[in-house]
Amino acid sequence: MSEQVMALPRKRVGVPLAQTTWFRVLRYTLVRGITLFITVIIGVYLTVLIANMGGYVDEIRKGEIRENVAIQVMNDPALRALSPDAKRQLIEERVRIEERRLGLDQPFLIRSVRFLENALTLRLGFAQLMNSNSGSRQVRLILLERLPATLLLMGVSNLLIFFLSLFLALILSRQYGSFWDRVFVVLSPTSSAPGWFYGLFLILIFAAWLRILPFGDLVDAPPPENPLLYALSVAKHLVLPVSALVISSIFLSVYSWRTFFLIYSSEDYVELAKAKGLSGRAIERRYILRPTLPTIVTNFLLTVISLWTGAPILETVFNWPGLGRALYQAVGLFDVPVIVGSTVIFAYLLAITVFLLDIIYAILDPRVRVGA
Amino acid sequence: MKRGLFALTLLVVVGLLLAACRPAATPTTPPPTKPPTPTPVPPTPTPPPRVGAWLDEVVFIAVGGDENALPRLEGGDIDIYGHGIGGPENFAKVKANPNLTYSMAFGSYNEITFNPVLKFKDGRFNPFGDPKIREAMNWAVDRNYIVQEIFGGLGSTKLLPLVSAFPDYARYIDTVRALEAKYAYNLDKAKEVISQRMTELGAELGPDGKWTYEGKPITLIFIIRVEDERKIIGDYVSNQLEQLGFVVDRQYKTRTEASPIWIRSDPAEGLWHLYTGGWITTAVERDSGDNFAYFYTKLGMGVPLWQAYTPTEEFFTIAERLTNRDFKSLEERDELFRKALELALQDSVRIWLVDQQSFTPRLAKLEVAADLAGGVEGSQLWPMTLRWKDQVGGRVRWGQPDVFIDPWNPIGGSNWVYDTDVQRALGEYAVVSDPYTGLLLPNRIEKAEVVVQEGLPVAKTLDWVELKFAPQIQVPADAWVDWDAANQRFITAGEKYTETQTAKVKITVYYPPDLFQKVKWHDGSPLTLGDIVMTMIMTFDRGKEESPIFDDSYKPTLDSFLQHFKGVRIVSTNPLVIETYEDLFYLDAENNVTNAVCWWPYYSYGQAPWHSIALGYLAEANKELAFSSAKAKNLQVEWMSYVAGPSLDILKKYLDQAAAEKFIPYAPTLGQFVKADEAAARYANLAKWYEQYKHFWVGTGPFYLAQVDTTAKTALLKRNEAYPDLAEKWAGFGVPKVATVEVEGPGQVVKGQEAKYTVYVTFEEKPYPADEISSVVYLVFDSQGNLLTKGDAKLVADGQYEVVLSADATSQFPAGAAKMEVAVASKVVSMPAYGTLEFVVVAP
Repeated sequence: MSEQVMALPRKRVGVPLAQTTWFRVLRYTLVRGITLFITVIIGVYLTVLIANMGGYVDEIRKGEIRENVAIQVMNDPALRALSPDAKRQLIEERVRIEERRLGLDQPFLIRSVRFLENALTLRLGFAQLMNSNSGSRQVRLILLERLPATLLLMGVSNLLIFFLSLFLALILSRQYGSFWDRVFVVLSPTSSAPGWFYGLFLILIFAAWLRILPFGDLVDAPPPENPLLYALSVAKHLVLPVSALVISSIFLSVYSWRTFFLIYSSEDYVELAKAKGLSGRAIERRYILRPTLPTIVTNFLLTVISLWTGAPILETVFNWPGLGRALYQAVGLFDVPVIVGSTVIFAYLLAITVFLLDIIYAILDPRVRVGA
Repeated sequence: MKRGLFALTLLVVVGLLLAACRPAATPTTPPPTKPPTPTPVPPTPTPPPRVGAWLDEVVFIAVGGDENALPRLEGGDIDIYGHGIGGPENFAKVKANPNLTYSMAFGSYNEITFNPVLKFKDGRFNPFGDPKIREAMNWAVDRNYIVQEIFGGLGSTKLLPLVSAFPDYARYIDTVRALEAKYAYNLDKAKEVISQRMTELGAELGPDGKWTYEGKPITLIFIIRVEDERKIIGDYVSNQLEQLGFVVDRQYKTRTEASPIWIRSDPAEGLWHLYTGGWITTAVERDSGDNFAYFYTKLGMGVPLWQAYTPTEEFFTIAERLTNRDFKSLEERDELFRKALELALQDSVRIWLVDQQSFTPRLAKLEVAADLAGGVEGSQLWPMTLRWKDQVGGRVRWGQPDVFIDPWNPIGGSNWVYDTDVQRALGEYAVVSDPYTGLLLPNRIEKAEVVVQEGLPVAKTLDWVELKFAPQIQVPADAWVDWDAANQRFITAGEKYTETQTAKVKITVYYPPDLFQKVKWHDGSPLTLGDIVMTMIMTFDRGKEESPIFDDSYKPTLDSFLQHFKGVRIVSTNPLVIETYEDLFYLDAENNVTNAVCWWPYYSYGQAPWHSIALGYLAEANKELAFSSAKAKNLQVEWMSYVAGPSLDILKKYLDQAAAEKFIPYAPTLGQFVKADEAAARYANLAKWYEQYKHFWVGTGPFYLAQVDTTAKTALLKRNEAYPDLAEKWAGFGVPKVATVEVEGPGQVVKGQEAKYTVYVTFEEKPYPADEISSVVYLVFDSQGNLLTKGDAKLVADGQYEVVLSADATSQFPAGAAKMEVAVASKVVSMPAYGTLEFVVVAP
């Protein structure tokens, strides 16, 4: 990720421009930026190709259009008495219009380049089949209207998992071999099951059997008109999906962090600090947390951007109107603009995060320097 | 403790003593009874009869999928699941739960589609290119097994392109039963026929029992859909084919994967041999005659598969005549239909397997009228019949997979059943479809007169329609026949044609005299003639290139409409009487009086007054929104939504503009029916409505849309208190009157002697009224299923009929087991009912 060199005494006078720190930082930034952008281009174009199955989706779509139009005409009582020729003519016209609406009258290769261009410039355009919650076909709105629900669900659960894990892991790393330490070690394999798996059980217990929490959805129906009551209703609906996500991740997460901290806790400089008689909290802060900070920050930032992806199956189980479910639906419907739109935003977020992490590493860790 | 006990004892003793010292009550003579002074009791006010819906509120909740339906229903989270579901386990669960009940729907069916090309382009041989082999496949599948084992009894066997719950099935029951007997499951017979034909066509059966052609094994590519029971059906049919000596390549695919292969590819390419087809009909089909052309001939669909169909000339002619209604009498139709049934089986480009039954579960204390084909969600009467038993008012939580899927607008909005079922409660139709017979019934109109050109086989069933025949029906010169979009005025027949035009049907619709006084839009605006005229204009304008809202996706619909539409004339405005001239006709006189010829302001995708359509008109004319998704895509603007999203701000902008200008769209025409003051009042009403409810969806239905939450995917509907009709108007549609039929009589019939049987036809253990029965037909079969005799049962009394097997008839019966089947067709429900009795025929 970054180049590390020994800190050497330097002369500032008479150093060529190419060797100045600013130049090196600028060059590094530029090269890194371009590399990341090329990665994004490749990633997005691959997504365009995969989402379109190399153009085969056109065939699928054309088949579906024809089938749908034929069934619509067949089931329309107003058209039932039309002559077969008139029906066929109507079907052909409607098929032609729908194919044109979806851009299927143009070759896939041309459309794939246009997809890429629009995606990279964040002109997300209109979805082919999906709508936003409010009925808009703009991909931007499809994603934005789903974002709050996903941020709420994933934000609450992931941040809860992250901070709770760190907190518990630090405690357990100081109580290596204790009862609770062993409990977490034993329970860590439970995280091999995904959140939706626990979600099903939670629904059975708390919604179907005890009837104290809702089966799913974002809010009660009809939604309360008072904003406070609305928020409380959302909070009630949040309990089970968040619990499912937390249960599915917390044990492994605590176990991992606790192991990570244990490794750092057994470093020589920690032993030396202990020998010097420093307090446990000071050792933890200065000698354990400080060197692990880049890892924690990396983890945190990746956690934050992962909120964008949502949790498709869990959202489906809990009927939660989030981004994950939207993406899942888009894949099922081959709605390429939505798939590409979601991917390009994630790609940009990831690229920016990676870029920022390089800078943050340098700030956090004095050993990190841009190469000479 | 001891002290407390002592004190308590003391208290009890003192109490007893005091009671004992009380003076004894002396018996006294009761005072003479006076008649009570009548106090003026205010008379108990009789509650006014309930108008509009029985319920106060309906909450629509998107629950995500069918798999969530029963848990949420059982968990008390919803009261009804409006969408039909299947699955024998689910059905058993609902039946076992005393708190739940259900409505059945019969509109879905499954079949196996064959590739009809005998030799593929690469030289491969396709056995299903041969009609005899396809026909023999009818013997190779055990339909009873499919119904019982795969569908758990939730369906009925299907041999023909007729849904067993629809009228034509009952009408031709004798032919149907005869064919069912002929094509009953017989794998040996299938093997025999197929082996013979395969050999004749040059195929050879190898020592391993597998068919080869030109030395290469014949491998059948079977496209098997995986989303539902068709996966198991596909496996079952594959197993049967393997027993017949074929190698089957089972390709399991979803709809999207299968579609390009079976419907898009050229069948001659040989990408497939068989496909597990599935179809759905969403309303009771009164005339199934066009199914032959649709399913067996190239008239059906303009896709490579259909174009490869080569029915015999005889079959093609009959199918074409049935679909074009090219017959002079019902007797002639009967003859054609019966022949078509036979020929369909000889052709068998598809073999039919099962008529599915789906069910709509709900709480047992909830009542609703469900459509026999479309279920609860497809019923036009659900808003007026959904109610809690013995209760007026209350709220129902209606679960369904989704809601607000596509944008709602009345002209080109969402067509999803999950949206239209909600919209149906917010609007109302001029005529509604009887959920049990498919016949149209008057809702907002008073009566209608249908004049049919002599020689066309149209008949009537109900009294609200008057049916007449005329040698020729002339279109008057002042009838509107087309639309001049540039000048925004109608073109009359006299202007368009130099010669007098004729039509096959004239439909005259009579609205009630108080129509415009009693019907009000939800925003308080009264219904006026302007709303009706706007419907007429919108039928044409969007398909005309000169229109500011021309939409080329609508043009084909208008073009096809103009092929049969001959003219319309407003005969009287008070009361409103409208004549429509048409070349399109239906066999039932009632069903010629469609909503389209009533010109009722219920557009393709919802009801709307002219003033809310005007906002959409302005938004589309200014290229900011579009009614249809196709035009929205062309213009790169939003698809118009009247209930949510970015459209609302734009529509609000045009509402303000329209209100300021007292805008009347299509002023040269609509201006003759709408005055500026009315326009101003309407826009003011709509503005108030929008301020309160934040949407523009306004109808005249029994409910109004009180709350929309597109994120939470819920809709709250509240009762429209201004609705003019009584709640009990449709009360008779609680439960479909499907008869129960029992046959009683001797278990032994002596050849050559008369035998009498009694048929009991009941509904809920009460005699079925004779005037509601259209036919009671008996059929007698031998043990092989061959038809021995048939006839009409004789009416004895309500619910009781007699079948007399004459001595002549019984003398023709072969000795041995026989079966009598009685088929009862009702006038009030399209689904026939059957009763059977087995007996033995013995020699004298």
